[in-house]
Amino acid sequence: MTNHTLSLAWRLFRHETKRGELTIILLAIILSVASVLSLSLFSERLKSALTEKSAEFIAADRVLDSNKPVDLAWIEKAQQMGLNTAHQTYARSMVFANEQMDLVDLRAADKGYPLKGVVKVAEQPFSPGTAINQLPNSGEAWLESQLFQTLAINLGDNIEVGDKVFKVTKVLTEVPDAGFSVFGGDPKVLISKQDLSATNVEGPGSRINYSYFFTGESDVLDEYYEWLEPQLDRELHDWDSIEDDESGIGRAVGRAGKYFLLASLLAIVLAAVSIAVAAQRYSMRHYDPVAIMKTLGAPKKMVQQIYLLQILFITILGLLIGVVLGFLIQQLVVAAIADKVDVSLDVWHWKPLIIAIFTGSVCAVLFSLYPLMKLFSVSPLRVLRRDLGANLSSRLIQFLASGGAIFLLMWAYSQNIEVSAILFVSGIILVISLLAMTFGLIWVGRKLGQGKMGAWQLAWARIHRRAMDNSVQLISFAVTIMLLLIVLVMRNDMVQQWQNQLPQGTPNYFLVNISQAQQPNLQQHFADNQVVIEKFYPVVRGRFVAVNDEKVRTAVSKEDPDEQNRGRDGLGREANLTWSNTLQKGTEVVKGKWLGDNDDSDTAEQRPFEVSIEEGIAERMDLSLGDKLTFNIGSEIVDLKVTSIRNVNWQSMQPNFFFVIEPRALKSFIPTYISSFNLPTERKADITELMRPFANVTLIDVDARINQLRNIVDQVSLAVEFILVLVLAAGALVLIAQVQASMDERQQELAILRTLGAKGTLIRASVVFEFIIIGVVAGAMAAAATEFSLYMLQTQIFDMPANWHIEYWFIAPIVGALVVGILGALGCWRLLSLNTSHLLRQMV
Amino acid sequence: MTPTTMIKTNGISKTVTTTQGQLQILKPISFDVKAGESVAIVGASGSGKSTLLSLLAGLDEVSEGEIYIDGQAMQNMDEEQRAQLRGAKVGFIFQSFMLVQSLTALENIMLPAEIAGHGDAKKRAMDILELVGLEHRASHYPNQLSGGEQQRVAIARAFISEPKILFADEPTGNLDAANSDKIEKLLFELNQNSHTTLVLVTHDSKLADKCQRQLHMQAGELTEVFATSVSEQAAQKVG
Ligand SMILES: Nc1ncnc2c1ncn2[C@@H]1O[C@H](COP(=O)(O)OP(=O)(O)OP(=O)(O)O)[C@@H](O)[C@H]1O
Ligand SMILES: [Mg+2]
Repeated sequence: MTNHTLSLAWRLFRHETKRGELTIILLAIILSVASVLSLSLFSERLKSALTEKSAEFIAADRVLDSNKPVDLAWIEKAQQMGLNTAHQTYARSMVFANEQMDLVDLRAADKGYPLKGVVKVAEQPFSPGTAINQLPNSGEAWLESQLFQTLAINLGDNIEVGDKVFKVTKVLTEVPDAGFSVFGGDPKVLISKQDLSATNVEGPGSRINYSYFFTGESDVLDEYYEWLEPQLDRELHDWDSIEDDESGIGRAVGRAGKYFLLASLLAIVLAAVSIAVAAQRYSMRHYDPVAIMKTLGAPKKMVQQIYLLQILFITILGLLIGVVLGFLIQQLVVAAIADKVDVSLDVWHWKPLIIAIFTGSVCAVLFSLYPLMKLFSVSPLRVLRRDLGANLSSRLIQFLASGGAIFLLMWAYSQNIEVSAILFVSGIILVISLLAMTFGLIWVGRKLGQGKMGAWQLAWARIHRRAMDNSVQLISFAVTIMLLLIVLVMRNDMVQQWQNQLPQGTPNYFLVNISQAQQPNLQQHFADNQVVIEKFYPVVRGRFVAVNDEKVRTAVSKEDPDEQNRGRDGLGREANLTWSNTLQKGTEVVKGKWLGDNDDSDTAEQRPFEVSIEEGIAERMDLSLGDKLTFNIGSEIVDLKVTSIRNVNWQSMQPNFFFVIEPRALKSFIPTYISSFNLPTERKADITELMRPFANVTLIDVDARINQLRNIVDQVSLAVEFILVLVLAAGALVLIAQVQASMDERQQELAILRTLGAKGTLIRASVVFEFIIIGVVAGAMAAAATEFSLYMLQTQIFDMPANWHIEYWFIAPIVGALVVGILGALGCWRLLSLNTSHLLRQMV
Repeated sequence: MTPTTMIKTNGISKTVTTTQGQLQILKPISFDVKAGESVAIVGASGSGKSTLLSLLAGLDEVSEGEIYIDGQAMQNMDEEQRAQLRGAKVGFIFQSFMLVQSLTALENIMLPAEIAGHGDAKKRAMDILELVGLEHRASHYPNQLSGGEQQRVAIARAFISEPKILFADEPTGNLDAANSDKIEKLLFELNQNSHTTLVLVTHDSKLADKCQRQLHMQAGELTEVFATSVSEQAAQKVG
């Protein structure tokens, strides 16, 4: 490359920048870099903030669960690597006091627990807790409120756990790693680790779980896991992070993370679209200079170098401005929500910066490649034959190249071929149907547009004449609208679903052990206190004896992974059995038929009793339809046949049951009842009064838990909201850029019409009509493509139920027409406000 | 100084492919142009003047026949070689000026020299700009200049590389009478001073008359070649 080429390129670049020739393409690059950077930086920060926050729910960043104590060297290794560690042992054990006893979830915590989150305690049962930065001293125990009730004790009393006596010094109201299912969890007792051995609960056959907590930099954690993994025994050990958590929080955070990823991906596509549009325009505007240079004897190579250098300069400038701008935008957003999200957002991440720069440069290079190739092919003859365009005309190559580039970018960024493929395929479908549509419409329009030259006809005529250009434009509008719709609808559906999960008034207290005689009194008493009590479920306790006449012990010990699911334990050897004719809300039969549905009354008496079992338990205990389960209820043995398997939503905060039995099987047993109610947190003090007449009824308080959950969900929703706003803003900018670019192409025509004496109103109306037509078509097609990609995304990626979004089939075309029409009108108004000679001069 | 042949054509024709099939827009033509000669191509609109000019200037390829520019056979050259030839020996002036909009007047003039890789471009460009009387507009962009001024810049640009042949397609077509006169004067002056061969296409008979010879085109055929008063030669029919 000669110095002349370089200096010529530099000079062209300088002048064109000054004269605003490069504004559009520069803006496109800036936009792409800024939006990708701000979006991914923001989402990266939010995601890690949320992960941090939700890590409280497992009390650490990572947890190693084990059925046996692990080699201490493992822990030392972690400490050497700079990780914080802590340890807690969980045991199910009996607690005795005042001749009463209860099965509890005994937790022996070691110094350092909890690494994330807080323990809260109170001085009174059923009163709000305050955080405490300390653990029980040796010889002390902290108990959950309901135990004070069942054991009939007060603070300061003694209890026995195994072989050791503890003094009850605090009411335990909250631990971070409480698990999410309220129902079936035993009340918790927290003691110090050093007292554990004295209790002797760790005997053979006991159900003990050892949890080792770790916190630290995520790459150190990963590195540690890499070191640890080969030594783990899958039967014994389980390595967990909050993302693996199947609870509501884990899912919410996981989903939000996917949403952020999706939003950033869409920002990348938006950026690509805007760069493609701008590059196209840039190339067309440079046909003349290229023809002139070639005429003056410039070799092809020189022309190529000059323009590649220009693109390089523009890209570098765009990257610089884009990075600064993106950072500022992100900072603004962070500042705006800092007081709404109580997590620190000021951790710097390099990855988004790299992604943004990479995206910006790849887009700038790849999407200007084809327009540049076209530009290079401009014949010098154009200086004589002014209408001569570029020779290269394979749009297929262009589509393939840009499509491939977008796909690779998405894939590289998301490292998730599924998401990329879904978005990409819907994009392709959109493009193909749009091409078909355009030509169809143009054909129809030609029929309609014949006759007098009104604004309408002029608009159609123009669309027709520029079919190919319009189809590109249509595609870029439609893709933009589609992406915005996806981000919008996805957010609505997601937030909606979260809210449905924990609607206002979700029960935050559970009542267990209500006797049949108490039931009406209790109902009355609660009504008198303006508390709505939910449905009563009858319960009998049953001991699980055998599966298909095989003693259950062997069946259970085949695998014993239900330790991993401490939260929904409650099976053990005893289970709560309920009966019902109706399927509970929020559950569905996934296999078999619901109880009694295969009833034929003749044989009803001879039929075995039916039981419906929960999906998870079926899997864990290897049960299937037709299996015979044997329970020991009271003193009777009852045989049940599995006729259905249910899917139960354990996050629904409703009483849920592993086993639901046909009513006639349990006719002869006297049940106790379970119910739940909602009491606003402000009325917490009323609890004692409310429960006073029913001393035997056990109250389970999950208010704190629900508030924790709701808090996280609110923050995630808010974060999603902000991302939505960012993407919408980026999309709006892209739309404006597109309209501006196409306005530019119309300039000449407008000038000519103007010169020929066409009225400003006619021209404006025809341009606005044209944009409205484009907007309607783009909106309609975008709605269709959105429906498709949402269906795929929701079912394949987000794990949510998919549904139709009929409203958007109407909204999208209308909004499309409005927005594109208004933008068109504005652009046109600007053009028409320039005088004609100025327009004509600009054309040359 | 004995005049050598600057342009030699031998049966050149141009056929283009249209949707209706092959169309011969230029019938086979042969003629020569001597060094330093000025030739006007005239004829009705659509008769093929620009087409002929584009072939002579090497902007387009001939379908048949041979063209020699300063002894070099252009029909055997590819676009790259023709570009090189254009850069080395040919200057251009167009009806629509064809200045690069994002370069200043001075930079437009420097362009051919820079493309050719000459170092002293700026100084020479300034000199020529002075010659066309626009030194005070050096840093103006084309859209800040009038049509006549733009064309003067274009002429300056054409002469900076001291071309052997200057091709002009309707150089005064977009200008009013006063400006046309100025441009014509300038063109012939420079042509004279630098002994350039001048081939121009024009509708303006006054301008055509100032050339030593006129080639008449009609429907893609060269019908007549006749000398104007300048060289007192009898008109001759071309077969
Ligand atoms: N690539 C092409 N395809 C089809 N027709 C062509 C092509 N190039 C030129 N023509 C036709 O050849 C004829 C001669 O064109 P040309 O531009 O040389 O005419 P001209 O004499 O310069 O006219 P004007 O005085 O109007 O500039 C015209 O009828 C034109 O339409
Ligand atoms: Mg012509």
